[in-house]
Amino acid sequence: MASSPLLVFSPKLFHRLLQLPPTLRRSLYSTTSKPEIYDVVCVGGGPAGLSLLSALRSHPSTERLKVALIDSQDLTTSRAASDTDVYSNRCSSLTPASLRFLRDAGAWDKVEAGRVQDYHGMQVWDGVSGSRISFDPLDGKNGAGLLDALAELVPGNRFRESRRQYGMEDKGVVATMCENQNLTHALLQRLKDTEGVKVLDKTKVESIQLGPEPEDKALDLSQWPIVTLPGERQLAARLLVGADGANSPVRNFANIPSHGWDYNQHGVVATLQLDHAFAELDRRMAYQRFLPTGPIALLPLPNNKASLVWSVTTPLAAKLKALSPPAFASMVNAAFRLQIADLTYFLEHVGTIDIADEFSWRLPNTSPASTGLPQSLPMVKAVQEGSTASFPLRMRHADTYTGHRIALIGDAAHTIHPLAGQGLNLGLADAQSLASSITYGVEHGMDIGSPWCLDEYVSDRWAKNNAVMGVCDKLQKLYSVQSGPVVWGRSLGLGLVDRLAPLKGMVMGAAGGVR
Amino acid sequence: MRATTTPSSLTRLLALPPPLRTRTFSVLSRPPPNYPGHIPLTILERLSLAAGSAIGSLAKPYRHDLIASLGETTAKPYFLSRLHRAMLNNPTGRRILRDRPRITSKSMKLEELRQMPENSVGRAYAAWLDREGVTPDTRDAVRYIDDPEEAYVMQRYRETHDFTHAITGLPVIIEGELAVKAFEFANTLLPMTALSLVAIVRLKKVERQRFLEVYMPWAIRNGLKAEEVINVYWEEELETDVEVLRARLGIEKPPDLRDIRKALREQKRRQKAEREGSGAGAG
Repeated sequence: MASSPLLVFSPKLFHRLLQLPPTLRRSLYSTTSKPEIYDVVCVGGGPAGLSLLSALRSHPSTERLKVALIDSQDLTTSRAASDTDVYSNRCSSLTPASLRFLRDAGAWDKVEAGRVQDYHGMQVWDGVSGSRISFDPLDGKNGAGLLDALAELVPGNRFRESRRQYGMEDKGVVATMCENQNLTHALLQRLKDTEGVKVLDKTKVESIQLGPEPEDKALDLSQWPIVTLPGERQLAARLLVGADGANSPVRNFANIPSHGWDYNQHGVVATLQLDHAFAELDRRMAYQRFLPTGPIALLPLPNNKASLVWSVTTPLAAKLKALSPPAFASMVNAAFRLQIADLTYFLEHVGTIDIADEFSWRLPNTSPASTGLPQSLPMVKAVQEGSTASFPLRMRHADTYTGHRIALIGDAAHTIHPLAGQGLNLGLADAQSLASSITYGVEHGMDIGSPWCLDEYVSDRWAKNNAVMGVCDKLQKLYSVQSGPVVWGRSLGLGLVDRLAPLKGMVMGAAGGVR
Repeated sequence: MRATTTPSSLTRLLALPPPLRTRTFSVLSRPPPNYPGHIPLTILERLSLAAGSAIGSLAKPYRHDLIASLGETTAKPYFLSRLHRAMLNNPTGRRILRDRPRITSKSMKLEELRQMPENSVGRAYAAWLDREGVTPDTRDAVRYIDDPEEAYVMQRYRETHDFTHAITGLPVIIEGELAVKAFEFANTLLPMTALSLVAIVRLKKVERQRFLEVYMPWAIRNGLKAEEVINVYWEEELETDVEVLRARLGIEKPPDLRDIRKALREQKRRQKAEREGSGAGAG
């Protein structure tokens, strides 16, 4: 405790000082600055954290909360790319539920609409047996049964109008592809427009600790998390939200263990150019083939572009990234169209054979019926320069999402395999649920960091996330088997789900995030 | 506007699974052939042809066309695909599938083969053909396999059957053929080769005993441990030394069947002559 410079000047002043009330006295000679107090401090400027803050600012009950956002990256540079022909290789598939949330948060209209692509169906097929399931939203719509079908036949019916919600046309959209940077830019723009959010970017969190012991009748921050930033700046949070990714410091601070396993796989991503362009109003499809090494998915982007996500074993990922662009394009085509025996041969000899040549020989000799190939699958013509990258795949789930004045959302809470495209959507659903818990707390005069407010969030999200992660994990394990009764069983099951419309509707509803 | 009424779930549930659905055509409306000579068959036709061929080839083992149709009708759904995959997994097998070489009496000229170096595969093949008194006739064309590439695999198997005879030295008599068929079953897993072994009942007692004691164990042991013989590019191996090729494939040469039979016949003739001689001497 350093002494004030006034001390040295005169003993009289010093005595005068000692007569001041304790709080003022302490503020003069204490150099431990008081931490700035915030209602919500969100560590992490990814889509989950940003959407949580946007949702809070958009609701009348919570818009006056004092919120801060901390991120170590420079958030102002995440602006949408202006080149219409170049797309980022990190794209996400947003379900209709996520879109509704983003619309309510006021962020979706700020997204650059020309770089976003809806798709209207999904074709998923088994690489080993060729059995197939296709998701068409007009097929298994929620509640679309006999009565609905009859009602739609009645001339002059207003059935469709009555089902329109939130101004969203019922166009039969399964999901929407959006670049991650497009989404974060829109969310940041929304936060800037609403003002009042303290955005501290390019700021690394130095430490998080509980506050010091109170000195009688002073403010008791001993149960509050205090975030220390460079320059000895401190933020005390009534509720500290960890949206800071898979290795979350907030989760470590809260001593919340997270369990799971690594898949020993990498997800190879790239932006591909297709052989023909699609118009804006064309029906687009997403395609996914389950290979024994991992699923490969082709997700549509505007015009003639598509996004690739291919899960392969780690050594194969390195080999694939090292391929020349034409060879990589041929390899992607081969992964969708050729038999497993051919593909295994290609992947084994990936450095030594001329893939384009082998592919052009094998394609006419592979009957589409034997591979279950959907007729509408477009051919990949080229790969966008420099867009091949990979990231490790793992599954992690935190034991709980909340602690005292702590909440975790997004990747900090759970990491999932990308085969169902659910990772970002689960994070947005977390943000939506937490925002509604906070809103409820504020409206009922609760302390938003207390367990009574946060427990609602955990009980809403933990079980649902666990179920989705469990299903994705089991699907991954089921489809990594190459032969035998397991293949027969799963093909039979897939065929059954494809034929039973109510069951398929249930699967689609669950994947679409029913809220 | 797209109709929202979907076909009843029940009718879709009762629809046949995809592999069978492609075969639901009637004899009056056969789909077009996939390659020249292709005859698509319904399930009933396939089953009855298989049964008829099995019975007919057991009754008359020289009906090579019945053996051929038995092979084709029983090779699907799994076994021919497995053989095809075995070819696709091997670099030489892939070259064979790409080049699609055919073995006919025109492509294998006996005069050239006879000129080849001593102990080469080509020479051994020509020598075997001369010894058995057969020619590399054009084998029956494959007709009942739907996929053109799998049809070629079947055709290749049929045309290289004689080469297997040549490098093992087994003759064309029933006993020799059964030994080769047992070897091929262990090596290619085609069901027709296993079904042919039913012809053991046509062997004489002595022959059957010899087969079960010597040739069947040889065939199974070697067929399992050898490399896939379908992946051998015979056209390129004509000048290779037979011993070298056998060593590379992992095949031992079985006891020469013709020699054994000749020796047994000699022995029997001597015994008969002795008996007659002693009988004449006594009488």
